[in-house]
Amino acid sequence: MASIEPWLIENGNIKGMSKEITRHGRTAHNMSSSSLRKKSDMSLVSKVPIGLVRRVLANLQEVILGTKLSILFPAIPWAIIAQFYGFGRSWIFALSLLGLTPLAERVSFLTEQIAYYTGPTVGGLLNATCGNATELIIAILALTQHKVDVVKYSLLGSILSNLLLVLGTSLFCGGLVTKEQTFDRKQADVNSILLLLALLCHMLPLMFRYAGGSEALTAKPTLELSRVSSIVMLGVYFAYLVFQLWTHRKLFEAHGEEDDDDDLVVEEAPVIGFWSGFAWLVGMTLVIALLSEYVVGTIEDASSSWGLSVSFISIIVLPIVGNAAEHAGAIIFAFKNKLDISLGVALGSATQISLFAVPSCVITSWIIGEKMDLDFNLLETGSFALSIIVTAFTLQDGTSHYMKGLVLLLCYIVIGACFFVYQTPLNQGNAINLGVKASTEGSFRA
Amino acid sequence: MASTEPWLMENGNLKGMSKETRHGRTAHNMSSSSLRKKSDMTLVSKVPCGIVRKVLANLQEVILGTKLSILFPAIPLAIVAQCYGFGKPWIFALSLLGLTPLAERVSFLTEQIAYYTGPTVGGLLNATCGNATELIIAILALMQHKVDVVKYSLLGSILSNLLLVLGTSLFCGGIANLNNEQKFDRKQADVNSLLLLMGLLCHMLPLMFGYVGKFDAAVIEKSTLELSRVCSFVMLVAYVAYLVFQLWTHRQFFEAQEEEGDDVTTEEAPVIGFCSAFSWLVLMTAVISLLSEYVVGTIEEASESWGISVSFISIILLPIVGNAAEHAGAIIFAFKNKLDITLGVALGSATQIAVFVVPLSVITAWIIGINMDLNFNLLETGSLALSILVTAFTLQDGTSHYMKGFVLLLCYIIIGACFFVSQAPLKANGVNMRVESSTGAIFKA
Repeated sequence: MASIEPWLIENGNIKGMSKEITRHGRTAHNMSSSSLRKKSDMSLVSKVPIGLVRRVLANLQEVILGTKLSILFPAIPWAIIAQFYGFGRSWIFALSLLGLTPLAERVSFLTEQIAYYTGPTVGGLLNATCGNATELIIAILALTQHKVDVVKYSLLGSILSNLLLVLGTSLFCGGLVTKEQTFDRKQADVNSILLLLALLCHMLPLMFRYAGGSEALTAKPTLELSRVSSIVMLGVYFAYLVFQLWTHRKLFEAHGEEDDDDDLVVEEAPVIGFWSGFAWLVGMTLVIALLSEYVVGTIEDASSSWGLSVSFISIIVLPIVGNAAEHAGAIIFAFKNKLDISLGVALGSATQISLFAVPSCVITSWIIGEKMDLDFNLLETGSFALSIIVTAFTLQDGTSHYMKGLVLLLCYIVIGACFFVYQTPLNQGNAINLGVKASTEGSFRA
Repeated sequence: MASTEPWLMENGNLKGMSKETRHGRTAHNMSSSSLRKKSDMTLVSKVPCGIVRKVLANLQEVILGTKLSILFPAIPLAIVAQCYGFGKPWIFALSLLGLTPLAERVSFLTEQIAYYTGPTVGGLLNATCGNATELIIAILALMQHKVDVVKYSLLGSILSNLLLVLGTSLFCGGIANLNNEQKFDRKQADVNSLLLLMGLLCHMLPLMFGYVGKFDAAVIEKSTLELSRVCSFVMLVAYVAYLVFQLWTHRQFFEAQEEEGDDVTTEEAPVIGFCSAFSWLVLMTAVISLLSEYVVGTIEEASESWGISVSFISIILLPIVGNAAEHAGAIIFAFKNKLDITLGVALGSATQIAVFVVPLSVITAWIIGINMDLNFNLLETGSLALSILVTAFTLQDGTSHYMKGFVLLLCYIIIGACFFVSQAPLKANGVNMRVESSTGAIFKA
C-alpha cells in the first residue's frame, strides 16, 4: 500500500517526531490488544494465482487468523447451530460467551486499522465509543428484553473487573518482575476523579431510596434524578474526551522506550484497506449482537442449570470472559514495565463504562420506555465505592509493587465470594417493585 | 556475652552496614525499648554464690527492667482477689493493671529471642506475638461464648492504634519539633493503609448483606457466616504476603531510618540467655492468659457496677490499658523526631490486628464451633471506615505536623463519646443469635 513508504522513511525519526501524528490514535487500548496479534504468514496465500482471490484470502487471513484468540472462532458457528437445533440452553450460553471473546479483540483491531485512515482524533473517538462495544451491546439487548437487572449487574461487573481484576493482576505480575515500577499519576488521577463522580451519581439515588418513606414515593424521583445524572455524566465524558484527545493529549501518550521501537514500528502500517476494515467492523458488530442476544436470552437457564445466581454470572463471569483480550494485553505490558499502557487500558475502560455506557443505557431505556435508574442496590454500590477508593488510593503515589496488585486482586476475590454466596434469585424481595415482565418466564425488578 | 564485641566494632559503621544486622529490631521492639531501664548490676554482683547471682541477675533484668514494673504487684493481688472472692470490679481492674507490664515484657522477651534466631524469624515472632494480649483476650472470650466482646475489643484495638496512639504521637512530636520538618517514609504507610482498606472491605460486605432486603434472617446469617470465613482466609493470605513483602523482598521500606544511632547501639546485645528468655516467655504468656480470663469473666459485673456499657469498656478501656506500653514508646520516638518507628508501631499493630488477629479469631471460632462473623455492626464498622480513611489521608503525603495528630486524637475522642452514650445493652442488637455465656447474661453474635 502506498502509505507504507512514508512510514519507512519516518522509522528512523519516530522518536524525534511529534508522537501525536505518527501514532494515529494508537491509544493504550489498541496497543494492549496488539500484543495478541500474530504476524500473518503471507507465503501460502501468495501462491494463489488469481489476483482478486489472493487479495480476498489475504484479507480473510489477516482478519480471522490474525490473533492468537482465533482458536475460539469456531464457537460462533457452534453457538448458532446450538440455537437452531435446540441444544441445552446453558450450552448456547457458554458457546456464545466463548465466541464473544475473539470478536471483542477483532473489533479493537479493526478500530485501530480504521484509525490509520481517519487520523488520531477520530481514531481516539472511535476507540472511546467502540472500545467497550461488547458491554454496550449486551446492555442494550438486555434492555430490549426488559432485563434491567442484568444490565446493571453486567455493567457494574465490567467496572469492577477492570478496576480490580485487570489492574490487580497487571500490577501483581509486573511487580514480580520489577521491584518497583513507576507510572504517570496524572492520568490515573483524572480517571479516579471521574469514577468518584460516577460513584456520587450512583449513591444519591440509592440513599434516596433509603431516606425516603415508601417505595411508591421514591420511585419516580429516583428515576428523574437518574436521568438528570446520566445527562450530566455524558457531558462530563464529552469533556473528558476533549481533555484526552485535544487539550491535554500529552498526558495520555504512551511513553514508549527505545528498545521497543522495533516491534512498534513494524506494526505502524495498516494491513487492510479502509472499506474492508469498515465492512468487517459492521459484520463483526452484527455477529456480536447476535451472540449477545443468545447470551442475554439464555442467562437464567444457565444460572439455574449451573447453580449460580444470575447476579454472580452477570457481575463476575460475563466481564471476565468479555474482557479477556484486554486483560491479557494489560498483563503483558506490565511484564514489560510499561505500566502507563496497562493503566490506560484498565482505568480507561472503567471510566468509559461508568461514564458513557451506563448513562447511555439509562437514556436509551428512557427513549424506549423502560424504567432503568442508577440505583444499583446496596451491595453492588458498596462494592463499587470501596473498589474505587482502594484503587484510587493505590494509584495516587505513582509507584507500584506486587503487594498493591495482590491486594487489589484479593479485594476482587472477596467481592466475587460475596456475590457467590448471595444466592437470592432476582425475583425475591428486591425493594423497588416495578414488576416489569421479561420475555422468558422469570419476572425481574428494576 | 561473646556477641558484644562484634557489635562494638560495628558501632562506628552502623549506618553504613546492611541493616539486616539489626536482628529483627522492628519498630515494634524499638519503641518498647524506650521504657527499659539499664539494670544496675551492683547489688546483685555482691551476692557470693555464682548460680544464685545469675538467677538474681536474670530476675532483675526481666522483672525490674522496665519502668512499668511498679504495676507488677497487681498480678498477685488480682489472683488473691479472685481466690478470696473480692468484688468482681476489683478483679477486673487489678487484672487490667497487671496486663500492662506483662504486654511490655513479652515484647522485650520477643526481642531478646530475636537476637538468637536471626532477623527473619525475629520479625515473624514479632508479627505473631506482637499483639499477644489482644489475641489471647479474643480467644478466651470466644471460648466463653462472648463473641461481642471479641469483636469490640479487636475493633477497639484497631481504633486505638490508628487514632489514639498515632494521634498523640504526631501531636506530641509536632509540638516538640515545631521548627523541624517531620518526615517519614510514606511507602510503609501506604502498604499498611492498603491492607487496612482491604480489611475494611471484608467487614463492609457482610454488614451490607444484613441490610440488603427482606430476606429470611436465617439465610442472611448463613450467607454472612460463609462470606466471613472466605474473607478471613483471603485476609490471612494477604497477611502472609505482607510478611513476605516486609521481611524479605522489600525489606528496605521497613527499616527504621536512624540518624545517630547513639541510644540504640548500647542495647544491641541480648541481656539474657535464649532458654531463659524462652521459658520466661512461656511463663508470662500463661500469666497473661490467667489475667485475661479474669478480665473476660468479670467484664459484665464491672460494666454494671461502674455504670458504663460493655461495648465502651471493650472498645475504649481495654485497648488503652493493653496498649499502654506501645503507646508510651511511640510518643517518645515522636518526640525524638523518629516518626518511622512511631508509624511502624501504630500502623503495624493496626494492620496486624485487622488482617491477622481478626481473621484468626473467625477461623478459630469456626474450628471450635462458634458462629463469629465479620459483621461488626453499623456503628463500629462506620467508625472503622472513617478512621482508616482519615488516617490514610493524613499519612499519604509523607510529612506531619501537630495539627494532624490533634485531628486524629479528636476523632478518637468523638468515637469514644459515641460509644459512651450508646448505652444500649447488647440484648437489643439486630441479628438475633442467642448464645448463653457462662456468667448468665445473654449475648448476641
